[in-house]
Amino acid sequence: MGTIAQPVDGLRRPNIASADVQIPAVTSYEQVDREIISTLGFTKKWLLGLGVAILAMLVGASAWIYQIYWGLGQAGYEPPVMWGVYIITFVFWVGIGHAGTLISAILYLFRAGFRTSIYRAAEAMTVFAVMTAGLFPIIHIGRPWKFFWLIPYPNWRLLWPNFKSPLVWDVFAISTYLTISTTFLYIGLIPDFAVLRDRETNPMRKRIYGILSMGWRNSDREWRHFAKAYLFLAAFSTPLVLSVHSVVSFDFAMALTPGWHASIFPPYFVAGAIFSGFAMVWTIAIPMRKWFKLEHYITLNHLDATAKVVLFTSMVVGCAYLIEFFIAWYSGVRPEQEFFWNRVFGQWWWAAWIMLLCNMALPMSLWSQKLRRNPTWLWFLSIFINIGMWYERFVIVVPSLSHEFEPWQWGGYTPSWIDMSFLVGSFGWFFMWFLLFVKQMPVMAIMELKEIVVPKRKHAHDGGHH
Amino acid sequence: MSTEAGSGVKRRDFLKILGATGATTAVVGCSSEKVGKLIPYVTSPDNTVAGVSQFYATTCKECATGCGVLAEVRDGRPIKLEGNPAHPVNRGAICATGMSAMQGLYNPDRYRQPMLRENGTLSPVTWDRALEVLGQKLGEVKSRGGAGNAVFLNAHESGSLPGFLDQWLEANGMPAHLSIDSAAPAATIATNRAAYGVAWPAIDFNAASLILSFSADFLDAWGHRVPQQLDWADARAKLEGAPKLVYIGARRSLTGLNADQWIPAKAGSEMAICNAILGQGTVAAAATAADVPEATISALVAAVRGAGSGVLALCGMTSPDAVECGQMVAEINKANGSVGTTIKPAAAHAGYEGMASYLDLVDAVERMAAGNVPIAFVRNANPAHSMPAGAGFADAFAKVGFKVSFSSYPDETSELCDLIVPDNHWLESWGDAMVGADQRSLQQPTLEPVFDTRSTADVLLAAARADGTIASRFPQADYRSWLIANFAGGSSAFATALTQPTIAGSPVAARATRTAVSRPANAATGEGNMFVVVYPSATLGDGVGANKPWLQELPDPVTKIAWQSWVEIHPMTAKQMGVKEGEHLTVKTAAGEITAPAYPYMGVRPDTVAVALGQGHTAYGRFAQNVGVNAYNLVANGWDSAGNLAIGAMATVTRTGDHSPLVTTEGSARQHGRGIAQAMMAAALAGPDEDHGHHDIPGLASQEFLPGLKSPVAADAQGEMANPLSKDKGQYNPDHPTKAEARRWAMTIDLARCTGCSACVTACYSENNIPTVGASYQGRALSPVTWDERPGANILKGREMAWIRLERYYEGNTNTENEFSPDFEARFVPMMCQHCGNAPCEPVCPVYATYHSPDGLNVQVYNRCVGTRYCSNNCPYKVRYYNWFGYGETDRRQYAWPEPMHWMLNPDVTVRGKGVMEKCTFCVQRIREGENRARSEERELNADEFTTACAQACPSKAIVFGDAADENWSVAKLAYDRRAYHVFEELNTYTAVVYLKKVNHPAPAAPATA
Repeated sequence: MGTIAQPVDGLRRPNIASADVQIPAVTSYEQVDREIISTLGFTKKWLLGLGVAILAMLVGASAWIYQIYWGLGQAGYEPPVMWGVYIITFVFWVGIGHAGTLISAILYLFRAGFRTSIYRAAEAMTVFAVMTAGLFPIIHIGRPWKFFWLIPYPNWRLLWPNFKSPLVWDVFAISTYLTISTTFLYIGLIPDFAVLRDRETNPMRKRIYGILSMGWRNSDREWRHFAKAYLFLAAFSTPLVLSVHSVVSFDFAMALTPGWHASIFPPYFVAGAIFSGFAMVWTIAIPMRKWFKLEHYITLNHLDATAKVVLFTSMVVGCAYLIEFFIAWYSGVRPEQEFFWNRVFGQWWWAAWIMLLCNMALPMSLWSQKLRRNPTWLWFLSIFINIGMWYERFVIVVPSLSHEFEPWQWGGYTPSWIDMSFLVGSFGWFFMWFLLFVKQMPVMAIMELKEIVVPKRKHAHDGGHH
Repeated sequence: MSTEAGSGVKRRDFLKILGATGATTAVVGCSSEKVGKLIPYVTSPDNTVAGVSQFYATTCKECATGCGVLAEVRDGRPIKLEGNPAHPVNRGAICATGMSAMQGLYNPDRYRQPMLRENGTLSPVTWDRALEVLGQKLGEVKSRGGAGNAVFLNAHESGSLPGFLDQWLEANGMPAHLSIDSAAPAATIATNRAAYGVAWPAIDFNAASLILSFSADFLDAWGHRVPQQLDWADARAKLEGAPKLVYIGARRSLTGLNADQWIPAKAGSEMAICNAILGQGTVAAAATAADVPEATISALVAAVRGAGSGVLALCGMTSPDAVECGQMVAEINKANGSVGTTIKPAAAHAGYEGMASYLDLVDAVERMAAGNVPIAFVRNANPAHSMPAGAGFADAFAKVGFKVSFSSYPDETSELCDLIVPDNHWLESWGDAMVGADQRSLQQPTLEPVFDTRSTADVLLAAARADGTIASRFPQADYRSWLIANFAGGSSAFATALTQPTIAGSPVAARATRTAVSRPANAATGEGNMFVVVYPSATLGDGVGANKPWLQELPDPVTKIAWQSWVEIHPMTAKQMGVKEGEHLTVKTAAGEITAPAYPYMGVRPDTVAVALGQGHTAYGRFAQNVGVNAYNLVANGWDSAGNLAIGAMATVTRTGDHSPLVTTEGSARQHGRGIAQAMMAAALAGPDEDHGHHDIPGLASQEFLPGLKSPVAADAQGEMANPLSKDKGQYNPDHPTKAEARRWAMTIDLARCTGCSACVTACYSENNIPTVGASYQGRALSPVTWDERPGANILKGREMAWIRLERYYEGNTNTENEFSPDFEARFVPMMCQHCGNAPCEPVCPVYATYHSPDGLNVQVYNRCVGTRYCSNNCPYKVRYYNWFGYGETDRRQYAWPEPMHWMLNPDVTVRGKGVMEKCTFCVQRIREGENRARSEERELNADEFTTACAQACPSKAIVFGDAADENWSVAKLAYDRRAYHVFEELNTYTAVVYLKKVNHPAPAAPATA
């Protein structure tokens, strides 16, 4: 049963309803346990990958030490462009961190079956992406050692953060999101930890898994509580998916700056975040399903379903781009109009067109079912979308600041080698955690896969859809 | 010893001072974690209270003008120079060059002790040794009978020192010294002498109705800049009745940009235009020669004739025919009967009297070259840099037997000398300057010498005393005693005189009369396809200012370029040659060549390029060295008929293909219709005020702040103060004894007065400890091992820190790449924090590092700032500046005040650490000082009792600061002028800075208006 997700019949393949995505090649609970747990063994390739990731992380870490010593002048900032690669990368990673909770919470509530195989990886990706993103506001500020001043803590000077500032909202939004998504990830892992505990032979690891599984005994009562907790957290996380990136977008939308001051930003950012998050899921899941031999868990049907989400969010984002231009024209505000012209046809045309090409044009290929079911294309497309979404944030942050109200202070921006070190470092940091994760914890939810395994009494080859 | 000027210093609350001094001393030069030791005086010197400024009146010697200055001295060290309001020359104003004397005084590259050349290199020696060598060499020269061939080159100054020098030289059998000032308008002085009998007659702009300037850059570097600018601004402030200015020349200078009309006459055609005006030549001939429409010339002729004695014609040319043309310009004044009206020889300024001509210097150089000069003295003059290479100064100087330098700085000339006996800075010296024929301004030291230097006069006195033959002629121990001994009335009269801004009388010793060298003119313009204008920089002069980072960092008022040399070329010519901005152009004249990046400027004729003097130093310290090119390389060793250096030649301009970005602070030179610099026609002032009530900003009545500016301060700060029923009194208690809520600090800036000179910028640097960031060592790392060491590297990244900047916007002439038109207008806008009542920066700061004070200030708390820079992003005016590096940290390579420059830091203002935002504070330290003074004297603040540093310095008196809520302050009235407007009013920021529209006049010599 090697390649499972063959279309059932006919030349023109039926469209796959996402709720019907099944894993017909998986036939028993034991198979699930065996195949998923087999991904946990250390391999040389994995160690090599981890080494590369740690090296990249160290590049960023040493850049940070260097920058703290000398000052932010070592980065490419060019006033009036006071925000640059760090904020761009911050928004980029927050965006990546959206798909995980969307998949695990919202799609759970909507009973979208295709989430089952990918949600664990996506959720872990979320946690690590938010951990990465959370570093950047600290990296970006001038006196990072005073970062705690943004947190409301009691002090006898009676000094509080300014609750009017969107940056303070960010602190709350990001920390809440990180807390909830970490909790959600952990709660989902509890039954799986129990499986690992039961199968583990190394006493040390067995003990750790035992602690992590919180004494899970697989009883009805536990499952009942678990299901309720899981449902509750899903419901709790759902508004967060929408709110976090809305709050991040307020960093821009609440400002006066042309190109930022727009009420469309929250939905536009949320759509963009989901878009980029799904792309990152592809970037990770497509190699993973191949290297870990999980192609019968993450089937082409799964990819097809996610591709539709990407296609839809691409259109939402594209629509937002066009509405921005329209509003700039319709507003009759000259600085706004001149700014948008400069963004697309002036100084920053290249960045804007990279964004439009990667985020608006290339994803239109997903109207083709053939391409939706072509993992290679999806992987390359995911890279394009990642680049495009990074550039989307570039286009939002840099051209706006470089072309504001005061013409005398118009300027440019070129990132420096320090900025790029942080970008590299952020990927290193992210993948370091992710690679450590995939070898310690199951990248797929064993217990949820078991829920949808087709019972043995059915004919396996009849699976696929009903 | 010294006498305080004015009403002196008031008592303060001692504990406050102790606290403030401790806090500021701990902060100055340190990061917040380091705390230095504070050791108080056990017994305080007389008149010294720790933390309280004393003001010493003295006379600025940076140029020949002789402005009266007040040195603000804190704990024995001057920290800032301000104009002396009682002084008749500058009436309280001061220019950027004058203020930058502080950086000459505390220059880290100053000679710190005597130096003697031993085995080919200059090495430090003791004063005893230096004086011994000096006496020995003097004795040798005199015993060999070579004294008569000695040469003494002194940087030109007026007052008694020149007379003293000549007395000393005469006693030693040496000829009188040469008083040289390579940046002075020598041709103008020569023609003034011939036409009016004085070197520099008073120029009365107020009496003029039509001013013709033939390249007379009276707002740039020509003549006595500060008094000229004061008079010009006052005259222009008459608005409708203001004198109109026509600028005639191939390059539109800062003065030209302030003119109502630019006639871009071809270089060399000025005499033809004069002929036409004087009726000695035809209009057609003038038009052809000048390459301007005939109608323009005939309108000019008609305008001059119509203006009668209101004509004020000035000639500032330096070309080979400058003297002849200057005579004709004087003829225009005479023919119109303006001499005595607009040109007043009777009220002459005496600062330029006694100056040697270029030819005198050439003669001395030739004598050196011939090996006839056994000993040469140089004091602060730098001909090795500021003289055309063709004169061969360096080679000739090398042939001098023994070379003594009294200069303070290791400039190109001093570095060639054998013995350096460094002079005190003028802020460390006694002296005087002549400001009128019978008017003297005294100079007194403001501190003990910073280094182991001695006054030149003291050194010469010591040398004389050591020489038995002349010792009896110089019995005084030092120059001060000599001054007092020769002072009419003796020491008590001297002490009284020091309290006066100026005193009547002549120098205590007169210059020796010296026969000027006379030779026929030999200047030639040479061959080439372009005319090259070489002009002294408005900021650096011909190079004297180059070692002062404030002046290097101050963007040129016209081109807005700093830390760099550039070649101005018309955009049309540039396009034809395929030259883009920043491409290196080689300008080659018969004398030599320079290569510098191109700056397309629509204010030069298409057949002309222009290059500023001032840069290209090979010595002169870390700030001057290896910056730009020396434009003297383009100047031939030629002189006009009066023996002045003739500048201006034909050149060949070629592209090199190299490129380097311009170190400019200019973003867009056009304001894109955004109403930042607004203007109105003078005629409209006579009409009804259609804009009346325009700045009555719409808003909630409950938020309106009454009385004062009709702009409310931020609602959260102010609450509903005006509503007695409301319980919302804002963040602040209105019953607080400071009564801060009753005030609204505000500023008006009159664009009809502002000339764009940028003195306010330097004043702000000085007052507020703003770091300069453009020195070559202050850049960032380009890789882990290489640093960006281009001068101005940080400014290329837009990281200049000027809290107030001079924006220069052009109006008109948008098709400059394809056509040449002289009809464009420049508008200058000083832009600083607008202290918005409803400030966009405030709500976005996550930590309240910026918030609104109840008296209307937008406050920045450096200690609280974490450096998110969100405030800057949200500031529509872009007036917030960020500390990208530890400019205030001594152990950083970017440290902006290398020892001992940090001595001039203002202890009332924090030196900001890296990673924090800063901006204009409206000089909050001055506000609080004034308030505290009033409180300790148990009185209310008086109207206009104090002002900000920028307003204090402004030589146009364009900036007025004060409490807009108190109608007794000037600002409260000016804010309601019919010309008043707020920048970006549509953003509802309710700014506290009110601009008064520039007033434009129709072109005086336009065919339509003639």
